[in-house]
Amino acid sequence: MSHILGNSIEISRIVFDEETIRKRVIELGQMITKDFYGQEVVLIGVLKGSLYFFSDLSRSIDLPLKLDTIGFGSIPDTTSRTGVVRITKDIDVDITGKSVIIVEDVIRTGLTTAYLISNIESKKPASISLCSMLLNPDRLLMTIPVKYYGFEITDQWLIGYGMDLDEVGRNLPYIAETSRKQ
Amino acid sequence: MAIITISRQNGSLGDEIAQYLSDKLGCDIIDREYALSNFFGEQSSGSIERLNESAKFFLSSSSGSDITYKDILIKRITELAQDATPGHDIILVGLGGCVICANCPYAVNIRVCASEDTRTNRIARRFNLDYESARTSVETADRKHKRFVSVLFEKDLSNPELFDITLNTDNSSVEEASAAALALIEAKNRRAKIAIETKEVGAIDHQAEAIVFKNDTEAEFAHILDMYEIEWLYEPKTFPIEYDAEGNIKMAFSPDFYLPKFDIYLELTTMEQKYVTIKNKKVRKVREMYPGTNVRIVYKKDFLSLVERLKRFC
Repeated sequence: MSHILGNSIEISRIVFDEETIRKRVIELGQMITKDFYGQEVVLIGVLKGSLYFFSDLSRSIDLPLKLDTIGFGSIPDTTSRTGVVRITKDIDVDITGKSVIIVEDVIRTGLTTAYLISNIESKKPASISLCSMLLNPDRLLMTIPVKYYGFEITDQWLIGYGMDLDEVGRNLPYIAETSRKQ
Repeated sequence: MAIITISRQNGSLGDEIAQYLSDKLGCDIIDREYALSNFFGEQSSGSIERLNESAKFFLSSSSGSDITYKDILIKRITELAQDATPGHDIILVGLGGCVICANCPYAVNIRVCASEDTRTNRIARRFNLDYESARTSVETADRKHKRFVSVLFEKDLSNPELFDITLNTDNSSVEEASAAALALIEAKNRRAKIAIETKEVGAIDHQAEAIVFKNDTEAEFAHILDMYEIEWLYEPKTFPIEYDAEGNIKMAFSPDFYLPKFDIYLELTTMEQKYVTIKNKKVRKVREMYPGTNVRIVYKKDFLSLVERLKRFC
């Protein structure tokens, strides 16, 4: 019995187990290796959700990669319920003229991704591609081309393999559907 | 955008801004020199010289015709404005373009100015003149510019209503002033593109209307988009989706938001299920009747989960 979730969260079911994830990440790595052969590639992981995916994916890509991460936060704002988005950790690698692959854990509405693309576009890379472990195509509000993704999902609340519920569950080795304990 | 007119004071960096915009947009510049060589057909060198020197000469008829040079100038500039299409811009420097294109919906009329002192110093440096000579040159040029527009069009160049934007280069570089102009050109380009598409598909254009959100949810959603620096237009278009036997519109749909960068319309629904069903039907009809139009519904749970995730941060 795992102690990772403590007492506050329980798992309804395992949606993607370790072996399924491992195989799919290798496939994605092979696709990227083929598509980006001969290019200068920078892999940018979006903190913190993509940590494990970023780590496994980068080791499945057989190219001379440069790695970096980017993080977001929001500042509370009295004029709205949602605050103001800000970058808490910007990239350090120079991406000018390089092929950038943004690595996310999950793309739902695509708003964060759209923001990321605008931010990274301003640094003038040669191209920007998206690679997400999970994608919910029914909830996408933006027409963003997600070239690589692991699995399609619906409206489940998922944790594990980097994804959390109130910062808990990121270090589960699989992806599971959760429900809070009453 | 069709046509960008630039009216500039001598020494205001107007020509430099025109060149910068031309390089950025990849479009041609039509200036006085080009107009005199190309607009009026075969002319004697004397006529060209007089056109160059005297505004009044534009009111006389060209040789062997009843048409004045002013008529030809207006006709040629109007033709240029009509021929230009979004993405194929033309920059028109001087020539009273702001007056001729005043009623052209896709024109951006720019005024470039600076204080007399700044302009005098620039002219003095550029032409190696003493300050007094440079100031005389600036004053003469100002008089001639004003006179040209006044004589040909009976308009006062100092009237700000002739322009969409005025750029004061006293404390702005060419790049900084051009950035403001480019932002306006881009916004107008987008408006023009939507207006043309709207006309083509028989939808109704609301772009000129002021933004009045129908409820707090729409205002909050607009705020979220702003936060993510995603450009949006509010209810820019109405799609007729049902007509009666006489062709009158029976049912129409105005999606709440349009995101130009993503070419997608978003309709918010935070209401009861029965209204959601109607909205779903409307979206289906828009997709059927206007192929290629991207419309998505943002359901109540999407919106709430977005707000929740932003609070915690996504």
